[in-house]
Amino acid sequence: MTSLAGLGGPSLVAALGFSLAALVLCVVGAIRNSDSFTSAGRRAVGMSFGFTALAAVALVTALFAHDFSLEYVAKYSSLSLSGPYTLGAFWGGMEGSLLFWTVLLTGFSTIALERARADNPRLIAWAGAVLAGVSVFFLMLLVLPASPFATLSPVPADGSGLNPLLQSPGMMIHPPLLYTGFVAFSIPFAFAMAALLSKRLDAGWFTSTRRWTLFAWSALSIGIVLGGAWAYTELGWGGYWAWDPVENASFMPWLTATAFLHSVVIQEKRQMLKIWNVSLILMTYALAIFGTFLTRSGILSSIHTFTEGPIGKWFLPFLALMLLGGIGIVLARLNELRSVNRFDSLMSRESAFLANNVLFVAAAFTVLWGTVYPIFAEVTTGVRLSVGPPFFNSVFIPLGLAIIGLTGIGPLISWKRMSKGAFGRIVRVPLAIGVVVITTLFALGVRSVGALIAFGLCAFTSAAIVSEFARGSRVHRTRNTVGPVRALTMTISRNRRRYGGYVVHLGVVLIVIGLAGAAFRTERHALLDEGDSMQVGSYTLTYADRTQTTTDEKQMNVAAIEVSSDSEPIGTLYPQRNFHLAQGQPQSEVAIRTGPVEDLYVVITSFDADGAAALRAFVNPLTWWIWVGAAIMLGGMAILLSSPSPARVSARVRSEFREPAAAAR
Amino acid sequence: MRVGIAAVFISLAVAVPAAAAPQDVANDISQNIMSPFCPGVTLHDCPSDSAVALRDRITEWAEDGLTRAQIMDRLILEYGDTIRAEPPRSGSGLVAWLLPVLAALGAAGITWKLLRRWAHGPETPGGSGPDVHVTPADRRRLDAELDKLRGPA
Repeated sequence: MTSLAGLGGPSLVAALGFSLAALVLCVVGAIRNSDSFTSAGRRAVGMSFGFTALAAVALVTALFAHDFSLEYVAKYSSLSLSGPYTLGAFWGGMEGSLLFWTVLLTGFSTIALERARADNPRLIAWAGAVLAGVSVFFLMLLVLPASPFATLSPVPADGSGLNPLLQSPGMMIHPPLLYTGFVAFSIPFAFAMAALLSKRLDAGWFTSTRRWTLFAWSALSIGIVLGGAWAYTELGWGGYWAWDPVENASFMPWLTATAFLHSVVIQEKRQMLKIWNVSLILMTYALAIFGTFLTRSGILSSIHTFTEGPIGKWFLPFLALMLLGGIGIVLARLNELRSVNRFDSLMSRESAFLANNVLFVAAAFTVLWGTVYPIFAEVTTGVRLSVGPPFFNSVFIPLGLAIIGLTGIGPLISWKRMSKGAFGRIVRVPLAIGVVVITTLFALGVRSVGALIAFGLCAFTSAAIVSEFARGSRVHRTRNTVGPVRALTMTISRNRRRYGGYVVHLGVVLIVIGLAGAAFRTERHALLDEGDSMQVGSYTLTYADRTQTTTDEKQMNVAAIEVSSDSEPIGTLYPQRNFHLAQGQPQSEVAIRTGPVEDLYVVITSFDADGAAALRAFVNPLTWWIWVGAAIMLGGMAILLSSPSPARVSARVRSEFREPAAAAR
Repeated sequence: MRVGIAAVFISLAVAVPAAAAPQDVANDISQNIMSPFCPGVTLHDCPSDSAVALRDRITEWAEDGLTRAQIMDRLILEYGDTIRAEPPRSGSGLVAWLLPVLAALGAAGITWKLLRRWAHGPETPGGSGPDVHVTPADRRRLDAELDKLRGPA
């Protein structure tokens, strides 16, 4: 064992000790209202981070040093594994991913508590206690049932290597981003609980954690899209989302977090929905932990079985404690949480936001219910039933389409109230554009009802968003006499929260257009000898030849597939069927010809003894727009994250107005 | 315009799909059954060799002229009811379908009632802030202060 790896286990024990100390110190600090205890608790959280980071460095060093005396290193890496994937092995297995989670948790906690000293010092004690409590749980897992530093004897000469499916660039980014998203939600959750425990129920808890919430949501969003991109380019079934329980585990907290991001705006603007907002952040964090439980417990069978482990029984009591504690404290503070203000009209942006919230939560419940139903059915009837994509598509798509419609309506309605006449006038043009799109597509031969509704709603919502940008730009052009580009830049930069949000909405609309394209997917398969051809959509695919090469890691079989469209050659694709030597596992590498209209997607499922290739080919219309939409969402998130923190703006306003007032006195 | 929208949707509702090719029937079925070889994944999405073989068998059955229902019956006979990728829409499976619908309807109903009660309840005292009269001069001063606060664009 390397000397640094020997430090890993003791570092985790030390980190657990500091987290326990932080928990006690912060609770005492909160109860006694003592700054010195709270300060000591905050420093203990920092120390816990230091030791957890040391353990992480120890594990990464052991992976790169091929220290197969550690069971984890032997299980998830090998001598032939390339450098980047050796780093990926850090989160490729259960114990390593839990350590990665805990490093993030203690690191984020340290930063958030430090920053809150300036923004929201009154909540630090309870927030520190909650964060320390969560890290105690994860460190206990790492010290007891899931230690990444368990040793092996005798020491194997080589490791088993990383699952070939995980050896892709997407997997280097997708899991860390999902974990980052899950973990970053700890911060708004902890501050919400702190607000409840300390009875400081003003907007402070979410204005000072707004960036954390946006950061968590952005990381989760990008992580989910990258997961889809990984599935599309690696798994070889022509799709990107399978409603797999582990995919659902990341999607459920995303849905409730999206609802939360919208509903806090109502609390900011109207001091309403306080109960709803604390409940939403509690739900989001509980679903993030539940997602981790689903992934790690092996309670549900899924393609992600490589993460099954013995820690499921630890998660359930923790989840129950968190939920019961959270619900209990919300109930205890019901009187303080009641809103003074009321909705002034059904025709108001508040109402649209609330309707959007209900849809998001209903969608999250639907996904949760479908995910756990097989267990429910087995427990209640003794019969195990399957719940797969047909169920989720049937129940989720109508909700999703309604959300897209509201995404267009919401920004058009004014706060407080709007007359029906004014609403009719403002919605007229986007609605007409939606109807024109549906009619045109129908005239062009599109007959899928779902796709037509989706395209119509996307057109309506896009038109509504564009009209908002146009309205904002017009004001700047008139007032500042500047050109259209400058006016658009000014519009966005002067209200980055609002227009950043619209950019995100535009990205979502493009993603939905890409998803709707799946209704027109074409798929063909055939067994081809060299020189044979097959037809898929308007493409003719000819299997020209096969090249075989062998490396230390794998035996590669590359087929050259010549592609022509309407008898015109348009290129050659090179799908592969490889055999990973360490794992004794075959794996297909997909070849894709991508574009805004459609993707040609080719995968070889096998080669027979005579060299004939079993080819599966798909034509996937509009898939390209999913990735473009995700990139635009990313741009919107960057604009949102660059907007000034409300807490900082309030502080600046207060100081700017206080100084002239003091000078006047 | 309303007549136009209605005409589009009526046409959509009565549109008749063309007869599907055997491979399309097989693809559709494989998307609606779980793979007996890859836990938690439909047959369509399962990469294993056994799944490829089963997809080929389904295509052969479709080429032999078996209907979608006949092929599904064969599969259920061979692999049991769990091969269906969705719970049955009757008996104990009905609860899987009804609960999300009831929950969504219940949530929508409660929200509607709450919104109506709030909207017909007493007005927010002073709206969301004090009732102030803003003169054009005030507005200009406010804009200038906000521009100063936001800094250079």
